[in-house]
Amino acid sequence: MDFYWGLVQIIGVHSLLGLSAYIVVLTGQVSLAQAGFYAIGAYAAGMLTVIREWHIVPALAVGALLAGAVACAVGFPALRVKGLMLVIATLAFGEGIRLFFFNFDYQVAKGAIRVGPLGGEGFRQIRYFPEHGWSTFQVMLFIWAFVALVMAALWWFDRSRYGAVLRAVGEDELAAQSVGVNLTAVKVSAMAVGGAIAGLAGGLYAHYTTHIEHASFNILLATFAIAYPIVGGLASVFGTVAAVIFVQGFLVEGLRFLGDWRNLLFGALIVLAMNLRPYGFLDSRALTGLGRLLRRKAADA
Amino acid sequence: MLDLLQAAADGVLFGATYSLIGIGFTLVFGVMQKLNLAYAAASIGGAYAGLLILHVLRGAPASAVFFCAFLAGGVLGYVVYVTCFHVLPLSHPLASLMATVGMLLLIDEVIVHTTAGMPQNYPALFEDVMLPLGSLTVRGDLLLVFGVSVLGMIALLLLLYRSRLGLATRAVAQQPVAAQLCGIRVARVNAMTFVITGLLGGLAGAMIGASVGTLSPLISTPLTTKGLIVTVIGGLGSIPGAILAGLLVGGLENVFQLYRGVTERDLYVMLLLFAFLVVRPGGLFAPSGGRR
Repeated sequence: MDFYWGLVQIIGVHSLLGLSAYIVVLTGQVSLAQAGFYAIGAYAAGMLTVIREWHIVPALAVGALLAGAVACAVGFPALRVKGLMLVIATLAFGEGIRLFFFNFDYQVAKGAIRVGPLGGEGFRQIRYFPEHGWSTFQVMLFIWAFVALVMAALWWFDRSRYGAVLRAVGEDELAAQSVGVNLTAVKVSAMAVGGAIAGLAGGLYAHYTTHIEHASFNILLATFAIAYPIVGGLASVFGTVAAVIFVQGFLVEGLRFLGDWRNLLFGALIVLAMNLRPYGFLDSRALTGLGRLLRRKAADA
Repeated sequence: MLDLLQAAADGVLFGATYSLIGIGFTLVFGVMQKLNLAYAAASIGGAYAGLLILHVLRGAPASAVFFCAFLAGGVLGYVVYVTCFHVLPLSHPLASLMATVGMLLLIDEVIVHTTAGMPQNYPALFEDVMLPLGSLTVRGDLLLVFGVSVLGMIALLLLLYRSRLGLATRAVAQQPVAAQLCGIRVARVNAMTFVITGLLGGLAGAMIGASVGTLSPLISTPLTTKGLIVTVIGGLGSIPGAILAGLLVGGLENVFQLYRGVTERDLYVMLLLFAFLVVRPGGLFAPSGGRR
């Protein structure tokens, strides 16, 4: 059973990562730096619980805030460029963060062993959960509590004035600007919120895997982050989660029996999915259809 | 000082391949306003396909391998166009972007699958030739890489500025709707752009293989990043910019490697990009005025 809870943990953390990209994509920007913010959260939260021996919740919060602050700082220069230039700028920035951690050594002695990040070897012994006797199931619940929290917050955002402004910028920058929306403020704030969510996801990731290294925060992870909202559709937060379940649950775990062929199918299925549903699985038409179906069911009953 | 000059010279010669990759990104962007993230992977794929001739014709010369890579790159370019751009809605760039990412993964995996994950030796020409140039030495194989890349660029520029297809391509890049009204088949021009950039990519992949000596699918992501950085530094959509930026990045990269080692090298390349974003966000050859 632990295997399935582990899978649910992965889906939870990747959902958070996807949601961090979702809010940025809503403004029409594509950020490939999400893996970098995720790495900042992972290293910061890991160092706080291991070296400083903090409780996990404040450590996660600090990791998220730090990642959000970095995202905000990156937002200003990077958002001077638009559209595809931003894709490249953020991609380079994400790689920059990864390379920073590749060269980052900070170890302290703790008992007989030295702990902390060690360059290319990575950061071992992030053992907060096992040391405090949390079972896989409990960790899974802990992760999904955060997922539910973030989903609820984004759901509420979407219905607020702020969400409308985000979507307005995403649909047509010029029109949004001419009704008095401050583009820079909107984009940088979306970037900062996205960065903070990615940092939170990274902190959780560091603690359930117990070992992180720079190579896990590569461009592939960044493209995954941005793929979830695009494959899932931008009409609602549920699209992102559906895409995570499709990718992590079906493509990665479900097709494991195919062995080597799974990796071949993986790329092909993404190409196919985009050709069949260019606006994502749950686009606005699918959502209205689903809503009508649910209402009819309720009326029948 | 001599080491510095030597490193810079080697880097600039190798940088010609970055220029080719940068041109590929920039040309597709200029024509379709879209990003083809599968481009570097397709280039490496083309270079691998060039090796196939060694299976058909044992002991085929290196130039035949390069030519095969060149052709295979063009075919792969067309495949990428059909799968990621042809049927997807033009107004929705995210869908194409995502599809090219899928294609990148697919090409990488096909390579890993057919070579069982082993890096492949790549043939080179003139690898034991050393030309003395003052107190510097120029490696013969790097000089060949540079020469072939420059030839590719010249051919591309001739095609763009001296042929009807080039005229049509530039017209589509400027005003797709007006070009269509003049009777230019936009879809065909787009497809041809992918074939042409694919040919150049196959050539670049073969040149990278020839100068490094081995090919591995592991280089396709770093190559994607380098190509994109070159594109941004040169100015998105500018071919002379991409050429110059490729040489610049190649040269500086080798200098960084000399002073700070191979693990920190790319970090400084990223910082270079950020310096450009802050100081000159439009790139080296940014169109003056408000247009970006």
